[in-house]
Amino acid sequence: MAGRGKLIAVIGDEDTCTGFLLGGIGELNKNRKPNFLVVEKDTSVTEIEETFRSFLARNDIGIILINQFIAEMIRHAIDAHVQSIPAVLEIPSKEHPYDASKDSILRRAKGMFSAEDFR
Amino acid sequence: MGGSELQDTRANMDEELLRFMDLLELLEKKRATLNSLIEQGWFSITKARYSMGNKHVSALQYASEMMPLVCVHTKALENGEVQFFTERHIQKSSAESSDDLLPVEDIGPQEEGLRRRNKTKKDTPEKKDTVVAKTAKGPEVNPVGKIDQNPQQDPLKWFGILVPQPLKQAQSSFKQVIELSAEIAALQSAVLRTRQKLRLSLAKELNSEESLGKSAKEKCPISDVTVSEQKECIQQNKIVV
Repeated sequence: MAGRGKLIAVIGDEDTCTGFLLGGIGELNKNRKPNFLVVEKDTSVTEIEETFRSFLARNDIGIILINQFIAEMIRHAIDAHVQSIPAVLEIPSKEHPYDASKDSILRRAKGMFSAEDFR
Repeated sequence: MGGSELQDTRANMDEELLRFMDLLELLEKKRATLNSLIEQGWFSITKARYSMGNKHVSALQYASEMMPLVCVHTKALENGEVQFFTERHIQKSSAESSDDLLPVEDIGPQEEGLRRRNKTKKDTPEKKDTVVAKTAKGPEVNPVGKIDQNPQQDPLKWFGILVPQPLKQAQSSFKQVIELSAEIAALQSAVLRTRQKLRLSLAKELNSEESLGKSAKEKCPISDVTVSEQKECIQQNKIVV
């Protein structure tokens, strides 16, 4: 597993997960833990956050793809993650188009030009 | 000496800032491509769902065992950036196709064996050939069983053997999205790293301006005012912290 490279994890709605799994990123490890989470209407924020944190803790994951509307639910956890690996990518979802102003990376980049940075 | 250092820092900052802007522009372009590809993928999935039925394209169809067909390689550069490369396991799909072909290939040698048996007309080779044929038959059955449980199979097969064309189109869209997402991850890392460098350069410049401020007091009263303002800001920050 380690010699083969890292995995791409997904947290998203059903269609997003289905699409990425079709792309071939899906894995169920020895403990039958998947590298994806299908977020449905009844999925709790706690469950999403726990899954996100477990993905961050796993050292076999290189990129975490997350729907932006789900990222909004656990924004504090995403903003707290400052390491390069795993990289967190916010992607659009069917009902919610991508909004660059909400993206944590772009917000950090935008902060470069705020008054605070030029003090 | 201090003045030239300051100029160097400013030149470096300019370069970094230009790079930062270029990276942001590239990131925006790639993001737009990624978003349109994802949309295309969803549209294809929806079309497939329309032709196959609502429950035939859903999470219920995911295989109980799955192995990744694509992985990401990370490489930390000297400047602190991290590069991401995707690697698709072509061997797996080819291995899978060879598995699929195995039974067909095994049928061929058996036929050849029968032909040989007719040609040679010897007892001992006949027996050997039949033994070989029997042993060949054994593994011929096993791959069929393995293919059904093969976790490395093409995810398209989770949704049926003859899947509609839109599902294949969705797969190709999402394959492109996966490759693009690795590029975006690398760009994000570069953006954050450049930002960090710029902040460091800013801090450095502020420090050097402070040190120069004392000597430049008489020469330039305007710069003196700005430096004192900056000092005040810094002091305020300290108080706040």
